[in-house]
Amino acid sequence: MFASLILSSFLFASAPADTISDYYEVETIATPPGLVAETGGLSFLPDGRMAACFHRGEVMLYNPKTKAWKLFADGLHDPLGVVAVSNRELLVIQRPELTRLTDTNGDGVADLYETVADDYGMSGNYHEFAFGPVRDAKGNLYISLNTGSNGAGIRDEVRGQYEPLGRQGRMYACVPYRGWVLQIRPDGTIKPFASGFRSPNGIGFDAKGRLFVTDNQGDWLGTSKLYHVEEGKFYGHPTSLVWRPGFPNVDPLTLPVRTLDSLRTVESIAFPHESMAHSPTQIVVDNTVGKFGPFAGQMFVGDMDYAHLLRILPDEVDGQIQGACIPFFSKAGSNGTAMRIGNNRLAFAPDGSLYLGQTDHGWLGSRGIQRIRYKGGVPLDIMAMKLTPTGFILTFTQPVDEATAREMANYKLRSYYYEYHQAYGSPQMDVQPVSVAGIQLSTDRKTVSLTLDNLKPNRIYELTLGNLVANNGQKKLMNHLICYTLNKLAK
Amino acid sequence: MLRFLFQLSCLLALIPAQAQRDTVIQISATGGLQYSQKRIVVKPNTRLTLVFHNKDDMAHNLVITRPNSRLRVVEFALALGDKGASQHYIPAIDDVLAHTSSVEPGNTDSVTLKLTEGGYPFVCTFPGHGFIMYGIIYATKDVKRLPQPDQDINMPNPARTQEAAHQHHSAASGHPFPITLPAVYRTFMPDCGPAAIAVGLPGPNGGQSYVFDAGECRIRYAWSGGFVDNTEQWEGKGQLLTKVVGDIYYRDLGGFPWRVGSTVPKAQFKGYSLINRYPEFRYVMNGVEVRELVKPLARGRGLVRTFTFGPTKKTLSFINKPQPGIRVQSSVGRFQKETLIIPPGTRQVVLTMKYEVVLGARSEE
Repeated sequence: MFASLILSSFLFASAPADTISDYYEVETIATPPGLVAETGGLSFLPDGRMAACFHRGEVMLYNPKTKAWKLFADGLHDPLGVVAVSNRELLVIQRPELTRLTDTNGDGVADLYETVADDYGMSGNYHEFAFGPVRDAKGNLYISLNTGSNGAGIRDEVRGQYEPLGRQGRMYACVPYRGWVLQIRPDGTIKPFASGFRSPNGIGFDAKGRLFVTDNQGDWLGTSKLYHVEEGKFYGHPTSLVWRPGFPNVDPLTLPVRTLDSLRTVESIAFPHESMAHSPTQIVVDNTVGKFGPFAGQMFVGDMDYAHLLRILPDEVDGQIQGACIPFFSKAGSNGTAMRIGNNRLAFAPDGSLYLGQTDHGWLGSRGIQRIRYKGGVPLDIMAMKLTPTGFILTFTQPVDEATAREMANYKLRSYYYEYHQAYGSPQMDVQPVSVAGIQLSTDRKTVSLTLDNLKPNRIYELTLGNLVANNGQKKLMNHLICYTLNKLAK
Repeated sequence: MLRFLFQLSCLLALIPAQAQRDTVIQISATGGLQYSQKRIVVKPNTRLTLVFHNKDDMAHNLVITRPNSRLRVVEFALALGDKGASQHYIPAIDDVLAHTSSVEPGNTDSVTLKLTEGGYPFVCTFPGHGFIMYGIIYATKDVKRLPQPDQDINMPNPARTQEAAHQHHSAASGHPFPITLPAVYRTFMPDCGPAAIAVGLPGPNGGQSYVFDAGECRIRYAWSGGFVDNTEQWEGKGQLLTKVVGDIYYRDLGGFPWRVGSTVPKAQFKGYSLINRYPEFRYVMNGVEVRELVKPLARGRGLVRTFTFGPTKKTLSFINKPQPGIRVQSSVGRFQKETLIIPPGTRQVVLTMKYEVVLGARSEE
């Protein structure tokens, strides 16, 4: 035992691995026997317990201190999101409605299942998932509604008005507000808020309280993406247009692509399919004020297929929100417990750790719940990527060793775009190398300014970094790939 | 043009899946009140002809019923009493999908019908035969999903009593807790809108169950002998329906039952509260709040539906479209034909719905 300790410390000293697992660790949370843990939602109660809902309709409460699970409610139809309102009250979205679950008599079990919002259609198609809710500072709730899939048909009986013009295409919206984000106001009124979504399985806010939604690569989405969602806007997947007030009585798919393109609001940040996300999920903002490490205030996004999360590095150019995404906990970490795939839901616990709710739901993924805890220290990573009129400024978590920072070969860039079209996905189009004309290192060695030969809007700039190091080579760069979505040039 | 070709190719691709198949299957009655085949599997959208040879030494028929409706058909056949023989023991209820005549020993008759996806019982409705002599036709794309024959509650099996089947079902609840009745599942149910709520109620012989349609705010049907099987609904992405376990004895074919004044109100679902785990549904119809609590009849098959109203000056009435074998009684007022007018100011009405197939029951009652 002692010998092995010496040996391992010797190995550590001679070859510092410096991986993300030195700063964060993953723990797998035991779930109760008999539970099929296809996790649909996670949320923390004011008293520190966690509410979790699962595919077969259970809503359970987990006490992180005692590790005990207790049933709170059951019988829900594929619940895919939960928000704790109080220690006795949860909001849960299930296929047919947003439901308020209340334990009115204090016995620890919900006895009141109130319909908060069900004023939307159901065709009975399996793909018509309902996601959310999230609540803004004014008390408005937001939910997002998946379109149907022509992987299967619809039921003879549907709920809501049937619109055949919305039944065309691979993913369809033949009943109201499929492909929409709905707003539910504190007075209970429901407002169709924004349209053009395909499979919006992630909804959340940034640190400034702005609403964001993720959407999944597929028809009309060349790659998965993150939208900044504002009232009245259309985000590009056409079928939901049939439910837009005043929209002409036509199948939206018969409109020319350039017309649809002119109607849409583009994503803030694209998640390149080949490297970042196949199926993005929940958005959470790091509100832990440092308890989760150096990334306070940034958004994290989960993904179903990759064993990493995405960290969002926002930028704002002349009012346009855009920016970069970079993996977090890349390759599932490297030591200790690996992060699983299928990270459908994310929630920060009061102690600043991040819980991951996993599912497969008939697709790629996994089942269960894990937790990532920050252990301390500062990994070498990119804190920010900002556009300038001539290139990008990269800000690192700590001073970078000068020699590696100034090495031109350590910055490889290329740019491309994904096509907006009806076909499923898109290859990377017009891939071009981008050469770096100059590098400037700030005096505190924390920022590197890259001057590029050429910048064009509506493209993704993919930067591959070489072996940058910090602290005299002791710290290694955690992530080498970062992708900036350039919608608008900086002047 | 490309688009057209694409659509055309989609259309062509669909044809094999949608095309009707014609299949002829031979089946016979053997000794000991048995059919020679007890489980027949065809593809959905098959036009199936069953050629029925009676090789037994007594007369039989072969009746194909709606899913989960064998017992109801058998009971209605029994209730034909001495009129049964002249009608080949075929009750005139719409749960009968197709049937042969009475087939004397050595004779043959056939029956043809088109089957969409589902499980269709077949049964001999001669008095006493129907509780033993039956089988099931599955129209399915996915034979692997079918239960093992010895586990298949749609097949007769003297070694497996109904109680054993029930125990097997509850032993594997699929949850981190056992299922105890009453129980509620919001899920996709057959013959209901997509916002369905299945409710299982306690009682002997597997209890009773019903489906409440949260889209329309009304009960759609009720059954006895079990609750539901969610196996297929829970698998994968959730397209497949939950299955009814047991025998459907009641279907409400009348639409939303309430009238507010003279109008057919639009009902809005408001959820439910659990009272000793029994759900009490809440909905609002033209401003009138309604709560509906459903309990099983103390004896026999039937439901006791307690409606509680919020204050209203409008006259409420309840339309009961008569169903064969179902008697409805109200704690308040009287039915005039199909309509029960609730006296103004009434805050609670108890409707007792009893399923009873009495000898000589007229199917068109």
